Amino acid sequence: MQKAKNGNPDLPVSSKITPELERKVLLELGNDITRVRDKNDLILLFSKRIKGLFYFTHTLVALIDYKDETYAPILLDDQSPIRLHAKYKELVQSRFSLNEPFIQSVLQADDPISFLLEDIMYQPQSPAFLRLNYEGGIREILMTRLMKDGKPMGFLNIYSDIPGSFNDGFRNIIKGIAPQLSSAISNIIKNEELLKKEKEKSFLLDFSSDIALVRTKDELALAVRTAISKLNQKSGYVIRRINEDNTTMSPYVYDLGIHQHDQKIVSALEKARYPINDGLQNRILNSPIPLLFTVDREIQRGITSAYLQSWKMMGFKDVVGIRLRNGETNHGILFLNIEEINVQLLQGICSQISIALANIMANEQISKKQEEQAFLLDFSNDITQVRTKQDLQAAISRVLDKTMHTRLVMIRVIDDDGLHLSPFMYDNTLFKKAKIDFDKMAVERITINEPYTAQVLTSKDGLLFNVEEELKSGNTYAQLWKITGLRNMYGLPLRAGDKNIGTIWLLADQLSQLLLKGICAQIAVAIANIQANEKLLTYKKQLEVENDYLKEQIKTIYNFSEIIGGGDAMQKVYRLMSLVADSNTTVLVLGETGTGKELIARAIHNASSRKDKLMVKVNCAALPANLIESELFGHERGAFTGAIDRRIGKFELADHSTLFLDEIGELPLEAQAKLLRVIQERELERVGGKQIIKINVRLIAATNRNLEDEVKAGRFRADLYFRLNVFPIGLPPLRDRAEDIEPLTHFFVQKYSRNTGRKIRKVAPKVIQQLRSYTWPGNIRELEHLIERSILMTTSEVLDDVYIPQHTDAEKQEQAHLLNRSLEEVERSHIIETLKRCAGKISGAGSAAEILKVPGNTLHSKMKKLSISKSDYFG
Amino acid sequence: MKIVVIGGSGLIGTKVVNQLRQKGHEVIAASPATGINTITGEGLAEAMKDTDIVIDLANSPSFEDKAVLEFFQTSGRNLLAAEINAGVKHHVALSIVGVDIMQNVGYMRAKKAQEDLIRQSGVPYTIIRSTQFLEFLKGIADQATQGSEVHLSDVAFQPIASDDVASFVAKYALAAPINGKVEIAGPERFEMYEIVARYLQHSNDPRKVVANGRPEYFGGEISHAALVPAGGAALGAISFEKWWDKQLQKA
Ligand SMILES: NC(=O)c1ccc[n+]([C@@H]2O[C@H](COP(=O)([O-])OP(=O)(O)OC[C@H]3O[C@@H](n4cnc5c(N)ncnc54)[C@H](OP(=O)(O)O)[C@@H]3O)[C@@H](O)[C@H]2O)c1
Repeated sequence: MQKAKNGNPDLPVSSKITPELERKVLLELGNDITRVRDKNDLILLFSKRIKGLFYFTHTLVALIDYKDETYAPILLDDQSPIRLHAKYKELVQSRFSLNEPFIQSVLQADDPISFLLEDIMYQPQSPAFLRLNYEGGIREILMTRLMKDGKPMGFLNIYSDIPGSFNDGFRNIIKGIAPQLSSAISNIIKNEELLKKEKEKSFLLDFSSDIALVRTKDELALAVRTAISKLNQKSGYVIRRINEDNTTMSPYVYDLGIHQHDQKIVSALEKARYPINDGLQNRILNSPIPLLFTVDREIQRGITSAYLQSWKMMGFKDVVGIRLRNGETNHGILFLNIEEINVQLLQGICSQISIALANIMANEQISKKQEEQAFLLDFSNDITQVRTKQDLQAAISRVLDKTMHTRLVMIRVIDDDGLHLSPFMYDNTLFKKAKIDFDKMAVERITINEPYTAQVLTSKDGLLFNVEEELKSGNTYAQLWKITGLRNMYGLPLRAGDKNIGTIWLLADQLSQLLLKGICAQIAVAIANIQANEKLLTYKKQLEVENDYLKEQIKTIYNFSEIIGGGDAMQKVYRLMSLVADSNTTVLVLGETGTGKELIARAIHNASSRKDKLMVKVNCAALPANLIESELFGHERGAFTGAIDRRIGKFELADHSTLFLDEIGELPLEAQAKLLRVIQERELERVGGKQIIKINVRLIAATNRNLEDEVKAGRFRADLYFRLNVFPIGLPPLRDRAEDIEPLTHFFVQKYSRNTGRKIRKVAPKVIQQLRSYTWPGNIRELEHLIERSILMTTSEVLDDVYIPQHTDAEKQEQAHLLNRSLEEVERSHIIETLKRCAGKISGAGSAAEILKVPGNTLHSKMKKLSISKSDYFG
Repeated sequence: MKIVVIGGSGLIGTKVVNQLRQKGHEVIAASPATGINTITGEGLAEAMKDTDIVIDLANSPSFEDKAVLEFFQTSGRNLLAAEINAGVKHHVALSIVGVDIMQNVGYMRAKKAQEDLIRQSGVPYTIIRSTQFLEFLKGIADQATQGSEVHLSDVAFQPIASDDVASFVAKYALAAPINGKVEIAGPERFEMYEIVARYLQHSNDPRKVVANGRPEYFGGEISHAALVPAGGAALGAISFEKWWDKQLQKA
């Protein structure tokens, strides 16, 4: 390499300089230089001063960067002949390697060293600026090391278009000024750094006082916007917040900068929930420092999160992501689309935003809690007013659908058996789209062991089933849930105290734990109250019914505590009774009217293990056909009408007891079919109800008809007959048990003399004889009536006359009996017959009075006069 | 190729930077002094721009258990995050032979944490596990000095010259990522007290080395062979004596 020769005599400016002038120049320049604060002023000043003394075209200062062993221009005067060159801009931003001979020779030289460009610019490693300057007319360059702390810190490059411009005076001046220039430059750089730091600090200070005032989301948005526009005019930002589920993030506040964007994209971005672990968000959350990333590169890397695609479409290329974190808790991320990052500044901003965010969130949480509490209070007010199931249902749907934006799927309540769960209320519109009959599904009784129910009942505060996850794990219900579009199914136990009383199922995207717990507790209490109320009403009703029965039965039964009769025929009956009593076997009691079939039934009941409960009696003949079913099986007016309107049937009433079906032969065929089913299945459905009720009833049926004949005649179902005729007990007619007539007579005499207040101490033997010889078509009942009447007629203490119908043999007796009757007797039996036909109805439509064409009152008084009692036409 | 050497001003870093520059690569010697700090993140993203290879030769300023763990974790996390963003194709780190079997020693736990972060990062990598540097002998002697005596263990010891380390690092950095570890060691194996004694002798240090027979390294109990490679390691060329001669020349 050849160095340029010193000195050229044909220069426009005198380059000769005396030592005094040199000193003066150096002094003045030195003074001025130390006063300069701006680095560009420095080079201009320098350039202008020197130009007055020596000739050159332009000058610049380059700084060395040791980290990659390069140097790059930092100060440029505005005289460069190539400043309009297409490559100029690129050039001044380039870094040039220190590892090449040209610059190495500069570094080795203690004094300024000049080169003719021609000599060096063609060296393969020489920097490009030499060549470019040459193209701009420059011919020579004077290079001077600038030293700091004994180490080169940069270069002063002086260019000239006239070779030989740099004479010794020039070199001496430059050599002399170089140390001052170096220290001025490093001072200015340091100063600039300080200023920048200062500016950042005051910026952060401003920002921190702005943000300290932030109380709401909008204020936060404004503060961040202001700060960012102070830093960089156009960048957009978004703050994403970690959602309550802790697995996704959603935009919280954002500003897309000055650009206009497709509203569709923006609103899609706004609503989305992005999984935290998408390969980018988690990287940012884990990074202690701001993370600069390129949208394109992240997409290429395979990160599929939709926001990256949207950003790409919106033209965001480089983005910085910084976690917003308080202590050890991440709250969210700030995304900024800027290309340069000032780590310290961004971290300063973000720590402030984090605090603000945490405050806002805490505020929001508090006001949300307050709202929720107020809401719960309202709900609890609502619910305390509730008396009926309908009211409760209305209150629940109000609170759930309208206020909480959730859908009630179903409330199930545990039945009395503690095993099954029945629907209490549900929303049958919910799965309409699926075209399934939710009603049908809902009434299917499930047990507490059904897996999902069991999980919920044993959970502490209920369970959350994520619809998507349940779908994946093969939960078939989840297919239904999905139809609603809601994200989660909440299953909670309803508990009164610590007792499970049911389950509640809700579909929603997100529910507050506090609200859920509060509401469930209230609903549970309300249901428990209604249930208790229902039960009370049921018991009351049952008691009333039982009471009616008792009253009636006290009137109708033969008031024996024991059956009278020690004869052989009856002995046989007793034996059968004792055989069957303790079993649950159905008994069919057969016998003519008045033989005491009910008495036998009662005795069987009383000898059975069911004796502590009341035997329930139904007279099948006395019931109008259209009422039989509801009488036997109960009825329900509608699924939601409440227990008050429900009627308990005789079967239910006789649960765990005995049901005595008297006059079974009179049961209409339709009712026979139903009865058969109940006997077979041991369970029943109330009329109009959907619920199956298990029952445990012992049946005793009785009839005076020959059921086989009835079957043959098609009036009685054969299958029902076989079911009933498991254990028939035939009662002998009174005429076949003459030996019992005397004790029976004594019994009745005693009963009626007590009832009437007469003292009959004896029955005349003649009377006994008379009674024994009679054939008793009306059996014991006839005997009883006869004694009753005779006692009324007797004036003495001895019963010595009875009014036995006169007859010789049975058929004739019947005939004679009819013919010999008094008008009163005819009237009496006609009224009784009519009453029987009218199921005991005395007055009104379809009553006996109507048929007999007398006013109801008249019939009443007639019946009184003829002493017709209920037992005459029932039984 | 553009290569960033983190800790480029350190003992190994300086040498690696020089070797790579001599091969004509564009090398950035990164350290807090050059405005690139892996703890604060300062300058990191810019330095990573268009970088192909990153060689992490940084070391913690403090060797206290907690500080050193925090240093390697934070530094590793930040560095790898920036590398992922920049699409760096090879990450090289210098670790220590036997790190995983000396987890009772705090410094080893920290280096292990650094290795784990690298393995999990997804950035293609080569972990170079080295034995102790010969330059480290003085330090070992100093921390074991009690009065005028140096109490040292007799565990197997196979120190390597930093020039050799730098050559290996440069070589592995320019080769394809192994996505695993390699081991490097010095050409000679000693017992620890023995080589330290030799070193003190050479440098006319009056301290006396006492073999205490305790298998210890920096206060933690280790197995006798923990500090030396178990299998096939690449061995350096510079023996102790050669190294010593070089030290004298430099001085
Ligand atoms: N010593 C051994 O026997 C041995 C054995 C096997 C492996 N190693 C490993 O080899 C590696 C290099 O060791 P060494 O002895 O060469 O280390 P060293 O001389 O202590 O150099 C440490 C380097 O790390 C830099 N550094 C410190 N903090 C930094 C930060 N926050 N950001 C960026 N750079 C930072 C330092 O920069 P400044 O100069 O600016 O502070 C310096 O360049 C270490 O990882 C060490 O664990 C050591």
